[in-house]
Amino acid sequence: MKAVKRSYYWWNKWTGYSLLILLLVATPLITILIKLFDSPGGSWSHIANTLLFGYFQNTIFLLLGVAALTFLLGVSTAWLVSNYEFPGRKYFEWLLILPLGFPGYIMAYTYVGILDYTGPIQVFLRNTFDIHFKGSLIDIMNLPGAIFILSITLFPYVFLITRSSFLQQSKTLQEASFLLGANRLKTFIKVALPMARPAIVAGIALASMEVLNDYGTVKYFGVNTFTTGIFRAWFSMGDSNTAIYLAAILMVFVFVILFLESIQRGNRQYAAVNGLQKPTARIHPTIGKKILYSGICLSIFLLSFFIPFLQLLNWVSMTWDKVVNKDFFLLIYRSFGLAAVSGLLIVVFSVIMLYALRLSPFKWVKNITKVATLGYAIPGAVIAVGIMIPFIGLDKWIYGTLFSSKTAGLFFSGTLFALVFAYIVRFMAVGYNPVEAGFQKIGIHVNEASRLLGIRSTKTLWKIDLPLIKTSLVSGIILVFVDVLKELPLTLILRPFNYQTLATKAFDMATNEMIAESSNAALIIILTGIIPIIFLNKLIEKR
Amino acid sequence: MSILTLQNVNKKYNQAMEFAIKGVSFDVKEGEILALVGESGSGKTTLLRLIAGLEHPDSGIISLSGQKIVEGKKSVPAHERQVGMVFQDYALFPHLTILENVKFGLKGSKEEVDSTSRETLKLVGLKEDFSKYPHQLSGGQQQRVALARAIAPNPKILLMDEPFSNLDAMLKDQVREEIRQIIKKTGITAIFVTHDTKDALSTADRIAILHKGYLQQIDIPKVLYENPVNPYVANFFGKRNEMMAIPTEEGFHTSFGFITDPEAKKFKGKVKLLFRPEHGEVVQRDGQQLTGKIVKISYFGSHQMVKLADDEGQRVTIRTNPGRSFDGIDRACFYLWKYDVEEAF
Repeated sequence: MKAVKRSYYWWNKWTGYSLLILLLVATPLITILIKLFDSPGGSWSHIANTLLFGYFQNTIFLLLGVAALTFLLGVSTAWLVSNYEFPGRKYFEWLLILPLGFPGYIMAYTYVGILDYTGPIQVFLRNTFDIHFKGSLIDIMNLPGAIFILSITLFPYVFLITRSSFLQQSKTLQEASFLLGANRLKTFIKVALPMARPAIVAGIALASMEVLNDYGTVKYFGVNTFTTGIFRAWFSMGDSNTAIYLAAILMVFVFVILFLESIQRGNRQYAAVNGLQKPTARIHPTIGKKILYSGICLSIFLLSFFIPFLQLLNWVSMTWDKVVNKDFFLLIYRSFGLAAVSGLLIVVFSVIMLYALRLSPFKWVKNITKVATLGYAIPGAVIAVGIMIPFIGLDKWIYGTLFSSKTAGLFFSGTLFALVFAYIVRFMAVGYNPVEAGFQKIGIHVNEASRLLGIRSTKTLWKIDLPLIKTSLVSGIILVFVDVLKELPLTLILRPFNYQTLATKAFDMATNEMIAESSNAALIIILTGIIPIIFLNKLIEKR
Repeated sequence: MSILTLQNVNKKYNQAMEFAIKGVSFDVKEGEILALVGESGSGKTTLLRLIAGLEHPDSGIISLSGQKIVEGKKSVPAHERQVGMVFQDYALFPHLTILENVKFGLKGSKEEVDSTSRETLKLVGLKEDFSKYPHQLSGGQQQRVALARAIAPNPKILLMDEPFSNLDAMLKDQVREEIRQIIKKTGITAIFVTHDTKDALSTADRIAILHKGYLQQIDIPKVLYENPVNPYVANFFGKRNEMMAIPTEEGFHTSFGFITDPEAKKFKGKVKLLFRPEHGEVVQRDGQQLTGKIVKISYFGSHQMVKLADDEGQRVTIRTNPGRSFDGIDRACFYLWKYDVEEAF
């Protein structure tokens, strides 16, 4: 028999690249795990004795408060728009997603501005009714205020996922419930809500991750949480080991949330037993109820988006001529560049990992990609600390051994490389999911057909797979782009010295009593964020 | 001469699961059409994908035209095997035209590639505009393009996964014959997977029957039908009747009556008589035959099935011509012209 070149089938270069990506992406978590075995930093006992309890208390209250309020806002609006016909219903479906474009920290200082002594409400009351307040109308710079701000920016997560779950619920199930004598309210509580539970909890879990990630809002409001603790340890005390310890505790919160979410979901898949079932028909309530439902949705929209957005526009109109100059365009250019490069790299990495998965018959390849996309759950501050420490070490080693220099220069740490690296770790899942959906949609057979026609896997990827998933690639890049643009805590820790992005500039100006001036950068972040939100909504409707 | 050889091929998808393919060995001769038949989960599609190189066996050897393409953990990648495949969903490239789809696997000068693909499309009988895209074609036309694409590069072997399952009953008989003709015209060796015994019997030169990963029997259709090696294969081509019988010197005593058969003396103790509905014949009442009470008559147009019961509730089904009338009678006589005898335990 003629000998043929044969290779081991379980190995291909795609699997190798995926392992490499996994190794890189896992760096921050590995760092934290290893560093946990070091002794805690000098300020640890100080923080443990005086501040730690407060961190726990605030973080837990913040999580519970936001969970409750996002549940209330998200589920009620989702139920209304998916079950009733009322004026503006069609528009509220996407208007209520817009708050996602508002980063929490921008919402925070916008609200402070609205309620302020010089804000529009007090000015109006003073000038018209001669009513005077001392200081702010309502003091929101505290824990309840932070809960309110984070909830109105994060409830769309719950709204979005719950709405699509309600839409998937079959008409016949609800009809069965009515025929068994249950009214709308009872049907909602006994049938629709339990069926949507996995979706609701998933939405709240997403919102909770964002709460743990948040730095801007809590810092601005002076609410001390683990994230602000990490910043304090890192910047004010220069104590990296204490930052690591705090990051590790924060990760425990993350894993508890992930765990709770997964056990409540279990193996249950309530929605859509049979894909052919028709969605629930919306009912027309009485005129009075129609007005009520419109009113509820409208007030939530006004509070969570429209009023703060108007305030921002107002500030922009007052300050743009002073702020928008050459430096400002440089800021836009830098931010967009960073976001685009990160988006592109993440999509490239996602394609590589997913292609390995596509070609490999092995389950463990699936696990590689699962771990590599875990970053979305890790708070930005944790990722930043987890990347900074090995990079500083690497720099010391490079300068020490290669240049025999005693002072460490900045080769990796404090460079854009570190920043982009961190964005990739954190937002991998954001770009990965649409690419995965794209691959799933086109199926494996076109790829196999090409390979059986004698085309190598790499060429098949270029000629068949990539052209067919073009739109998924673009949406992956756009989604990452927007998230990077909004990102604050990671950028604050890892940016090169004096390097500003739109997000850091807006935050710096706001914390330095230049709220009105900061609105210019904020507006660009929000406007860029709104585009993919509308785009995303279209995708959900198509499904 | 055999072009494809499988030797003791084993495949498990998951260590905890049962074998998808267990100890399968067979040869495929050059130019023959082989059908892999089995129920869903029998391993037939897995076997096809192992030959294509889309899955890899845990152990065993696969050789294609004298070259080992799989040996243990080593294997020739799919793109180097020169195997053509028609997928169940056709897997046409949606962003390429019909012509570009067929050209895709061809190598050579532009003119050569162009003329080969046009010729192949003509061969499969596609009369459409070749610059159309796959979504503009009907299911049947898409299948022709998929077939053209697979055979255009002149592969060593053609694999087809459930090639007739997406066609409606009316079209099926015609397409089966056409595809057989095209394959025979090109002289290519072909293996196709199907769960439909009719597809296999009418299209294949030989049939391999798989059950739970094991190869049950591989042979020409007539042998499988007439001389199945085990009850599974026998029942696969349609239900067989079972009749309990007691052998004597002259024949078999059954609850439907006595069957004269000198062979009966070879058997001892209780036996089972196994026969297909078409191996019996309903006849006029004349005393010498088996008789049963008519339980049900099902009319199928080309024939009718008569279900008969004895006094103990045992039932058999006999096939009869569609013209026979059973009006006004509640018992029918029949005889068996062919049956197998099996010892009953």
